[in-house]
Amino acid sequence: MSTLTATEGQVLPGFTRTFTRADLVRYAGASGDFNPIHWSDGAAAALGLPDVIAHGMLTMGTALRVVTDWTGDPGRVRSYYVRFTKPVVVPADGGTEVQFGGTVTKVADGVATVSIEAICDDTKVLGAAVAEVILG
Amino acid sequence: MPISEDHVGRSYPATAPYQVSRAKIAEFAAALGDVQNPAYAGDDPVAPPTFAVLLSSAAWDEMFADPDLALSLSRTVHVDQRFAWRRPLRAGDEVTATLTIEKVRARGATAIITIAVDLATTDGEPLCTATSTLMHTSEVAA
Repeated sequence: MSTLTATEGQVLPGFTRTFTRADLVRYAGASGDFNPIHWSDGAAAALGLPDVIAHGMLTMGTALRVVTDWTGDPGRVRSYYVRFTKPVVVPADGGTEVQFGGTVTKVADGVATVSIEAICDDTKVLGAAVAEVILG
Repeated sequence: MPISEDHVGRSYPATAPYQVSRAKIAEFAAALGDVQNPAYAGDDPVAPPTFAVLLSSAAWDEMFADPDLALSLSRTVHVDQRFAWRRPLRAGDEVTATLTIEKVRARGATAIITIAVDLATTDGEPLCTATSTLMHTSEVAA
């Protein structure tokens, strides 16, 4: 395993992902979460949602790539927390862009704390998203 | 009777053993849009960290099927999620998940429920704890 170091304030490379309905169907199959609010217009409307919404866990899992793209080794991730503050609405046509980024906010005792951002339409869709990464 | 503080501490039998496979790891990584990380490919891959949700959701099913709690997934909002890992899940691991109700705050028809799902190998090695806060709204008789 190669050595990994971090400094407080370090900005990790971010990325943008466009979520389409096909991505939601793919994640439903991969995760086993077939809640119809993630693929059915009728089910979403019945709950008063503007449209089908992405799985919170899909956004959470995608956002962690900010960390694992940096570490290379996913086994360095010790913990990960998010609040699902706002749904990512995904219309039938086109898709919805979400920008992901991260900043090292603390380095102590061989562990880096990374604050993760996921932004859709200028609004945070994940709140207080934090991962702990084992350095060394 | 809806869910209440009385149900704190209740846990459910471990889920049936689930064998993590290379194919499922590749499928899950692709669903996350992560096809570049070599850790998820090859002969001895690890699973993406949030792969743990596959196991924890099986344990959720047990709780939602408990008639004592009168819970409905369609009236449940996933408020937050935490994972704490001891090591990554690997292809070949035989994993079970055990759910415990840790906290319930009920007010009127709304309950805030904290559940912890412990993932372990069938040999008893702890792998991960997945902790979730759920907000559940009961159907209220008019």
